Amino acid sequence: MAKQLGAFVVGDSDKCTGCKACELACFTVHNQKSNGVGRTVGTVSVPVMPRLFLVKGETFSVPVQCKHCEDAPCLNACTKKAISRVDNQVIIDEKKCMGCKDCMMACPFGVIMLAQVYDRGKVLRQTTGEAVKGAFKCDLCAGREAGPACVEVCPHQALRYVDPVEERKEKMRRAAETLAITKTL
Amino acid sequence: MTMGVQEIEDAGLILNFGYNGADSHPIVQRRIIRARQKGAKIICVDPRVIESARIADIHLQLKGGTNLALVNALCNVIYTEGLMDEKFIREKTTDFDEFVEVIKKYTPEDVSPICRISPEDIRKAARLYATTKPAMILYGMGVCQFGQAVDVVKTLADMALMTGNFGKPATGIGPVRGQNNVQGACDMGALPNNYPGYQSITDDAVREKFEKAWGVPLSNKVGLPLTHVPRRVLRPEDPSKQIHAYYIFGEDPAQTDPDINEVREALEKCDLVILQDIFMNRAGQYADVVLPSTSWGEHEGVYSCCDRGFQRFHKMIEPPEGVKVDWQIISEISTAMGYPMHYNNTQEIWDEMRRLCPSFAGATYEKLEATGGVQWPCRSEDMSDKGTVYLHKGKFSNPDGKGRFYATDWRPPQELTDTEYPLILNTGREVGHYSARTMTGNCRLLRSLEDEPGWVQINPEDCLEYGLEHGDLVRLESRRGWCLSRVSCTDRTSPGAVFMTYQWWIGACNMLTNPNLDPVSNTPEYKYCSVRIECIEDQAWAENYVVTEYRRLRESMGIDVSGEEAAVQ
Repeated sequence: MAKQLGAFVVGDSDKCTGCKACELACFTVHNQKSNGVGRTVGTVSVPVMPRLFLVKGETFSVPVQCKHCEDAPCLNACTKKAISRVDNQVIIDEKKCMGCKDCMMACPFGVIMLAQVYDRGKVLRQTTGEAVKGAFKCDLCAGREAGPACVEVCPHQALRYVDPVEERKEKMRRAAETLAITKTL
Repeated sequence: MTMGVQEIEDAGLILNFGYNGADSHPIVQRRIIRARQKGAKIICVDPRVIESARIADIHLQLKGGTNLALVNALCNVIYTEGLMDEKFIREKTTDFDEFVEVIKKYTPEDVSPICRISPEDIRKAARLYATTKPAMILYGMGVCQFGQAVDVVKTLADMALMTGNFGKPATGIGPVRGQNNVQGACDMGALPNNYPGYQSITDDAVREKFEKAWGVPLSNKVGLPLTHVPRRVLRPEDPSKQIHAYYIFGEDPAQTDPDINEVREALEKCDLVILQDIFMNRAGQYADVVLPSTSWGEHEGVYSCCDRGFQRFHKMIEPPEGVKVDWQIISEISTAMGYPMHYNNTQEIWDEMRRLCPSFAGATYEKLEATGGVQWPCRSEDMSDKGTVYLHKGKFSNPDGKGRFYATDWRPPQELTDTEYPLILNTGREVGHYSARTMTGNCRLLRSLEDEPGWVQINPEDCLEYGLEHGDLVRLESRRGWCLSRVSCTDRTSPGAVFMTYQWWIGACNMLTNPNLDPVSNTPEYKYCSVRIECIEDQAWAENYVVTEYRRLRESMGIDVSGEEAAVQ
């Protein structure tokens, strides 16, 4: 059954220690096919470009990533129709992107980045010789059976995969259960 | 550590003092976070806002170099407010009255201007520590890397003694050690004053035991600490005791020792420098002979964890041809020098060591394999002796079985700030790179996340004053040297205090640090010296300098840098 609302990954600043294991896992998963990144660091020949970003301030330390908004400003802003909704998730087709930065400007969370595109370990170039730059963001590790890699690798369980519909159902169930026990009116 | 690492999760309170687990030991930090989630209180003492400070109930953001003043004041509050465990003090300790004489002087009001912490916060922290059970103290290099370090360790132990926080689960004091197997190196006698198992070199009975076992006469004189080496090479008081040869194992003194200009001068002056390591490093550039040795995946043996836990580890892959295991290299060097040494495997070495060290005697390979790990003391080979999770149960290790109070006065660090060098420099680690970066510097993934010249953390107020933007390259200078670094504008460090990590070659903060030593431990004052910042007008020149100098250094180490442009951002 198709999801009613887009899922997303959320971090807990009280558990995060800023180790960046999530960033490395994210990078690895997204460069396995295109750039041959494997299980060892010797297979890495391109810059580490994760799709979630650790942010540190005086009172916080936590990665941020795409919320897969329902009325997604990035999707609405893209004139090339490079951003679409697939199974209720907001997905960028990097091949269609022309690097206009409209989605970057539109995203209120700053979690879309524009960076050089690498293919088979090499920078993709335009006919002029200039490097191709494309938009990247979290796609919840689309196609990965075990789900988002960041959630899996976090040593502190600071990241959580949230299906908002399922989460709401579970909360309601718990509230009802509590009522049944306490009989509070 | 007097406690086991696994006990951290069961603490009622953790006093996290000068210890940044999130950057130094992410795996230990996991225990701190779990303790927090189980309801433990956390008091964090650190001049910076580290990750533990964020989740702490109280963060005492003290001025660097004022540790002992603060600990004395915490003890003062516990004493004057009557929060001690008087039964424990009476029955299990001595010298309490002498201790009180000293700490009486350190009222929160007197200490507040020294540490720049309000008297109320000092009182709150002391009350919380004294009234929450079980309470444990974890400390790190923020205590040890000062000219006054051992005194602070002893006074932290006093805090645990006066509140009865010893000899019970999840109590005590824990130095969370700097390197993964530094505990092992100390356990095995890689110290100037001990044989393996902390048996004193000056004890005749101990010496005779080792002489008999090894069949050679042994010296009864304490050796030279690592940090005294440069002086004994360059300016020996007695010329006949000048050092001429330096054999370096798995260490990079030309990167990690303070005032590295002096260290490099000493390495140049040595007639013979030997480096035994798994990768080339800065010290290796001064070596006459490099002996390549195997890494952790290429050999097997035993590691000691900071909580005295022995753990077996196994070989996974064959080393490259011609690369030998450390113990084989040592055996061959020894044999060539006239003392035939031969072992067939690590178990023979381990069993010999166990025979000579009573407190390790019971930690057989068989037991380590069966149980996954044994914390010493473990005296009996019988499988029922599973080692010791926490120390000092029932009695302390002094001859009278009692814990001894010790107190002394605070003294400031050696090199204070002045108009010429107005900023305090504090140094430490960051999470992506391990120690001197000899290993992680060769890891493309980690280099891609953080690379030369590294960052100098500066408070936004100071950035404003100097006209610095986040990402600018700056020149840092001290009385001993200079280096380049990149500005990280962050309120995680206080105004007037800057912070750098020590593993960068271009941004080498040990060009700046002061080789002032603690008189007992001989550990240098890495956490405090005075520096100044010089802005660089020509940023393009500076950026180019970093790239070309880094490339030159890597090429000079024989690293093939061709075709790796893509990996460097």
